[in-house]
Amino acid sequence: MFCLSELEDTVRVPPSDLNLPLEVAIKKALQKLFLDKVLSIGLCVAIYGIKSIEGGFVLPGDGAATYKVVFRIVVFRPFVGEVIAAKFKESDSNGLRLTLGFFEDVYVPAPLIPTPNRCEPDPYNRNQMRWVWKYGDDEFIIDDSCQQIKFRVENISYPPVPTERAEDAKPFAPMVVTGTIDDDGLGPVSWWEACAPISDDED
Amino acid sequence: MKNIIVKANAGALTNFEVLDLLNSRGASKDTTRVIASETVSRSEYKVYDYLMETAASTQTRDSVTKFSDKCKGFKLAKAEILNIINLRPSSDVELTPILERPDEREIDIEGILALVQELLPPLPTLEAHKENEQEETEDGEQPNMETSV
Repeated sequence: MFCLSELEDTVRVPPSDLNLPLEVAIKKALQKLFLDKVLSIGLCVAIYGIKSIEGGFVLPGDGAATYKVVFRIVVFRPFVGEVIAAKFKESDSNGLRLTLGFFEDVYVPAPLIPTPNRCEPDPYNRNQMRWVWKYGDDEFIIDDSCQQIKFRVENISYPPVPTERAEDAKPFAPMVVTGTIDDDGLGPVSWWEACAPISDDED
Repeated sequence: MKNIIVKANAGALTNFEVLDLLNSRGASKDTTRVIASETVSRSEYKVYDYLMETAASTQTRDSVTKFSDKCKGFKLAKAEILNIINLRPSSDVELTPILERPDEREIDIEGILALVQELLPPLPTLEAHKENEQEETEDGEQPNMETSV
């Protein structure tokens, strides 16, 4: 789910950092600029290394030194078809929302939850809806108690920044991963721990 | 500020390689770390915490390299090998969603699972999970603690 990307950018090292070794100061500036930010290539997770530094000119009227830096970053960008383990975050009538800790905008829309299913108001949490999968005579609840939920990436989208938003709208998500749990081995891991012996018999 | 992307994809990384990178920067499970650490930022720690719960936390560079070398005989796509290393499937039902059209390509599922079992270290929380399962089972199996009396 991670890959390396090479970027080239102009970096400004503030005067307060000019006493640090050059690489450290530039890395600090890069981290501030890129870490935890979404670019067109994905979510920047860590600075991998600096390849080259050029310049160091001080522009008129500015106390900072400006460098042209070529560097590599580690980017979170899952590929379509990748299976990833995540945790349950919340659910509503549109579907589920899963989180990876560092990335919280994984959505499983209702059509990608295994059928037959039903959505019911959560008895433990008045604002949330709970999804329940009916398989044969058993019913499986998808909620907070699921340790890990595996999903397969269907799509990644980068919605454009909205110019106007309603007061109570959810915080804007610059990168949204849509996943499915409607296949063998997907969904809460606990569903399949019990099922493994059954599938052997069917073979 | 306009930044120029020289190469959008300069190479895919396994979860293990990213964890290795964070470890080499000084990430650790110590609870005082978030305040004290200067080399690893808070958002990098979130990635670290996530990866420590996956198969990557018990893997070694040696086992991952050996595994991807041996995978060449199984006609798998690079992305599938990466996915297998990241998830460390231990059963048929865990491996199938990773593969694309396994039946049409005549993939040796048993062979791949055997290789995973042989070369990749087991998942970190597997033992904790298994103990929980035993306590909840209805078969009458006694948890280990009671039999040691």
